[in-house]
Amino acid sequence: MALSRIELIFILGLSALLLRALPQLFLVGKSFPETWDRLLRYLSYALLCGLISITLFMSGARFEAQAAPYRGVALALTIAIAYKTKSAVTGMLVGMVLVLAFSWLW
Amino acid sequence: MAFAARFRQGMKAAIPIWIAFVPSSIAWGIAAQAHGLTLGEIVLMSAWVYSGPAQFAVLVPLAEGKSAATVLIAGLLMNLRFLPMSTALAPFFRGVKRLPLLISSHVVSASSFIVPYLQFQKERQASGGSSVADGYGNLGFFVGIGATSFFVWVAGTTAGFGIALGFPPGFEEALKFILPGYFAGLLVAEMKGWTMPLICLASIVTAIPGALFNPGWGWLATAAAIAIIGWGLEKWLCRA
Repeated sequence: MALSRIELIFILGLSALLLRALPQLFLVGKSFPETWDRLLRYLSYALLCGLISITLFMSGARFEAQAAPYRGVALALTIAIAYKTKSAVTGMLVGMVLVLAFSWLW
Repeated sequence: MAFAARFRQGMKAAIPIWIAFVPSSIAWGIAAQAHGLTLGEIVLMSAWVYSGPAQFAVLVPLAEGKSAATVLIAGLLMNLRFLPMSTALAPFFRGVKRLPLLISSHVVSASSFIVPYLQFQKERQASGGSSVADGYGNLGFFVGIGATSFFVWVAGTTAGFGIALGFPPGFEEALKFILPGYFAGLLVAEMKGWTMPLICLASIVTAIPGALFNPGWGWLATAAAIAIIGWGLEKWLCRA
């Protein structure tokens, strides 16, 4: 049976609540192993980077070959500016302007 | 200290989080609208899931009608990081009844975890490590941060939806860039050591072949594999 978007959002929220609530309800006084904490952190970083990649370079199951070079350049500059300024917003704004300009010029 | 006083303290401590949440929530609202989600779906997701990275993770699969399993596993993997956060906070809420704990746990997020956690640690050190302070007082401080940040997040996504409606045609490229650009910037600001940048780079590079091989699961599988390999390598090198 296919689930509607609302049903999916509801299940997602429920799973998030369980993950947030269970330790507080049942693990008081227990500690989470540092090594597992690190793995979960790496997992979320890797997933976010994978997402950045597919959101920027894919459209459905298709690789957007024509737009990929300028989006890649804009992403690299976004990262460089965010690193330099320590501001994700500044990086994002510069990247947005660049990607827009490239898309008009390319 | 009374719950209300600690709540106010928490609110004051949350001001930097509100400031950080404004652009990210607006960015998410804009991106979600650009991907075709309705205002109801956007507000429901922000209020009920309340997790920027997970909302980002499921946005594309949800908008493109990918299988329910893809959407749910992407969200679940992203939300697993709440386990250590919530576990770390738990000792500071000792003595609090389960219902308030259940309700307040909904506002655990990366930002609303780190600020109270550091504060509680500081208070514990100040008391010579002898006490964990009162659970309800700590809960008040945490809720002062978490609940107010939550409202900023939900209001911001609603505003983002409204802003996206006002974008003229021809700006689709900029809208598409908002969320990945913002998260890329956030990740860079958090980079430490060598493992994280390598994992991020490898994940960015391999997500495309992964997604081309299997549009539903490819990027998820490659990202998970890279995280596990990076973690394993780091452990191995530390032991060696």
